[in-house]
Amino acid sequence: MPKTAIILLLLPALAAPVLEVRPQPGLDFVLRNSPTPQKYLIETMPGGVALLDYNNDGLLDIFLVNGGRVTNPMQTPENFDRNNPLYWNRLYRQNKDGSFTDVTKEAGLANAGDGNYGMGVAVGDYDNDGYPDIYVTNYGKNTLYHNNGDGTFTDVTEKAGVAAGGWSVSAGFVDYDNDGKLDLFVTRYMEWDTKRSKTCGGEWHTYCPPEEFPATTSILYHNRGDGTFEDVSQRSGIAASKGRGLGVAFADYDDDGFTDIFVANDGMRQFLFHNNGNGTFTELGMKAGAALSEDGRRLSGMGVVFQDYDNDGRPDIIVTELPREIYGVYHNEGKGAFSYQSLQTGLGVLSSGSSGWGVGLEDFDNDGWKDLFVAQGHVLDNVEAIDPSLHYRELPLLAMNHQGRFERTDPGMTSPVAGRGAAFGDLNNDGWQDVVMTVLGDHPQVFLNRGGKQHWLVVKLRGTRSNRDGLGARVRVNGQTRFATTSGSYLSASDKRLHFGLGAAASAKIEIDWPSGARQTLNDVRADQFLEVVEPEKP
Amino acid sequence: MIRTLLLLFFTWQFSTPEALQHFQAGAEAEKSGHFSAAIVEFQKVTELEPTAATGFVRLGQAYLENSDFGGAIPPLNQALKLDPDLAAAHQLLGYALLAQGYAAQAVPHLEKSDDIAALGIAQLEAGQLADAAAHLQTALAKRPNDPDLLYYFGRVSGLLSKQSMDMLIAAYPDSARTHQAMAENYYILRQMPQAEKEFQEAIRLRPDLPKIHLELGLVYAGASQWPKAEEAFRAETKLQPGNAEAAYRLGNALLQQGKAREARAELERSNTLLPEMPETLYSLGKADALDGDAASAEKAWRKLIELENGSSLAAQAHFALAGLYRKQGKPEQAAREMEEYNKLQATANPPEGSQN
Repeated sequence: MPKTAIILLLLPALAAPVLEVRPQPGLDFVLRNSPTPQKYLIETMPGGVALLDYNNDGLLDIFLVNGGRVTNPMQTPENFDRNNPLYWNRLYRQNKDGSFTDVTKEAGLANAGDGNYGMGVAVGDYDNDGYPDIYVTNYGKNTLYHNNGDGTFTDVTEKAGVAAGGWSVSAGFVDYDNDGKLDLFVTRYMEWDTKRSKTCGGEWHTYCPPEEFPATTSILYHNRGDGTFEDVSQRSGIAASKGRGLGVAFADYDDDGFTDIFVANDGMRQFLFHNNGNGTFTELGMKAGAALSEDGRRLSGMGVVFQDYDNDGRPDIIVTELPREIYGVYHNEGKGAFSYQSLQTGLGVLSSGSSGWGVGLEDFDNDGWKDLFVAQGHVLDNVEAIDPSLHYRELPLLAMNHQGRFERTDPGMTSPVAGRGAAFGDLNNDGWQDVVMTVLGDHPQVFLNRGGKQHWLVVKLRGTRSNRDGLGARVRVNGQTRFATTSGSYLSASDKRLHFGLGAAASAKIEIDWPSGARQTLNDVRADQFLEVVEPEKP
Repeated sequence: MIRTLLLLFFTWQFSTPEALQHFQAGAEAEKSGHFSAAIVEFQKVTELEPTAATGFVRLGQAYLENSDFGGAIPPLNQALKLDPDLAAAHQLLGYALLAQGYAAQAVPHLEKSDDIAALGIAQLEAGQLADAAAHLQTALAKRPNDPDLLYYFGRVSGLLSKQSMDMLIAAYPDSARTHQAMAENYYILRQMPQAEKEFQEAIRLRPDLPKIHLELGLVYAGASQWPKAEEAFRAETKLQPGNAEAAYRLGNALLQQGKAREARAELERSNTLLPEMPETLYSLGKADALDGDAASAEKAWRKLIELENGSSLAAQAHFALAGLYRKQGKPEQAAREMEEYNKLQATANPPEGSQN
């Protein structure tokens, strides 16, 4: 074959992006953040997205959190007009043909509460009935929607006692005490309200940095198992540390069998809440080396992912931040210590001019190494006027993982947007991970994976003694490790199924450490399948 | 003895005892800070002795001390009419005129005094920049910690620089130096796209000129455009292989891109060219650590701490050492370094998130 023909044959393969933005029929959501000249900080912070199979039909559905109507200036009492359909949160059911149908109203999710400006979403089966429940965070009161199993949800916030209050941001379900029931962790940003709002930047007239407002506490709710939760923030030690939490992610970083919590704080040190195994936590970020930049400086932590990027079996932490700070890569060295590896991994140079929000470590090319996706866009909608090298609208970062070093690749879209939330999952069940990213003032972007020839395996956990979702389990497949969670990223909840790229391997060995302590090994598992693994009933 | 001699001198100056009495009363009032009373007394002296310059000088001085600069000018002029060589009158009149904004008129009087600082200030205000710079520099050498002199010298230097730049831009608008000067102005004003454009034009015209590549590199570094910064700094190091700053900047740009080995080489070169620069040592430690040479990293950071213990850079070095020891599985040593870091941070910039 002539050389030119070979080159022509190779070119499309080399140039083809891994992901590709494709409009999804029926997905007509617009994230209405309602920016005003008042520069209320909430306007630039939403909104979340969740990928969940709410009706257990095997197809991932999409839940999107909306902001609300903000007036100039806001009146008292605050009213965000959430009964207006323009500002509803939306649930889109995926149809068999890949299109989506808006089922918000029939699912009972239309009323988000006029006093609530929407932020994020957490997903978990808190009552172990086999149907995923939805928790929506707001500036205002949060809402817990119980999945009735018949396509509808019921607002059970009051009974459950999880309304929180203040300004909640990212949240996640986690079984911190391994009692088989999912508990709930809620980050809160700061003590702020529209009456206390102000503008900063002098003549630039822009949003204020977080340091302008007092820090506040995150909330930990313990699941009593009777449909109610108890606020254990004080008793557990979580409330002992005041922060400006935006992101939260869970993993057992020290392999003691209890899930730990990392909170990405904005404009200050990050928190690593070590689970003491007795219902209490100790904040060890500074001691563990996961609190500040390499130079000991504060970070503008926004999104976070707590997974193993270098296949050494230990969960690492990646925190997305503002430009000039570079995204923080905290490599888990074992024995409770982390080292800052942003430069070593190549992520420093990829992120130094960007603002990152939603983030995920997913193996997009199924080569056995988790790649990085980050939703990007600056906080300030007039940042170009202040510093022309920065941008309110950015392309997302897609960085392929080459044995622990990240290299930028085409993210599959060409027009920059103000990206915020990001959720990850296999929307079309083809074995290749997809992404849904929220965009301020615009439609969400759905990145479908173009696929390839590598093998894969998707594991769906079904806990029996552990929580039914198996959240908190450590799953090893052919030398890769994932920690079962729907949390992480920013404001968002991802597919609970665990995806593994297997490269050329046609079979896999699966090892699962369940939160209950049960260990399970499956040998010679065929590749390229969705496999449900049920936790052994007896030890 | 001195008092007696002074009295004899004034007795000789004044022909009437009454004038001498008023003179003494004025001097006493002045001494006790009653300047208005001193003015009245010295006024009487000048009325009684209208040909004695001394009375007019003391009257002018009393006005000055009373912050009535306008009032001081007529008696001092009169004193000089009577005795044109009276240095004290020239000096006081110079002060009065300068204070009133008549800098150009003050200059010839101050030239006849020995107050070069005041002369320099008057010349600065009169636009005689080169002379002003020379006099202020001489004055500053004698009083190096005088904030006023530091201010005026800074101002005259800036104005001289501006004058020179204005002349350059007007006379040679298309020269490389003009583009460089304009770029530097944009850089100061943080107008980086314009600065970048002008630096690039300067380089296009004179790629051999030193410093311009370095300055362009700083524009890129400020925007975290590290590959471009590397290119610019590398060009500067080729032009000026002996420039420690260029080597340091190149090392840092390489470091930011994770190019550990190359970064080390440049930072080591910079450290050889200009040893014991704390910034270089800090970055060198980072490059050593990135390259997996923990012992060299430790050495560089320890040296930095030895050089400037207590600074924010030293705090960073302690923090970096903590990370190094943590990675080596030495938690006690890491904790000690964190303690040092926290101590320094507590005084400077404590991280938030403290316990309730």
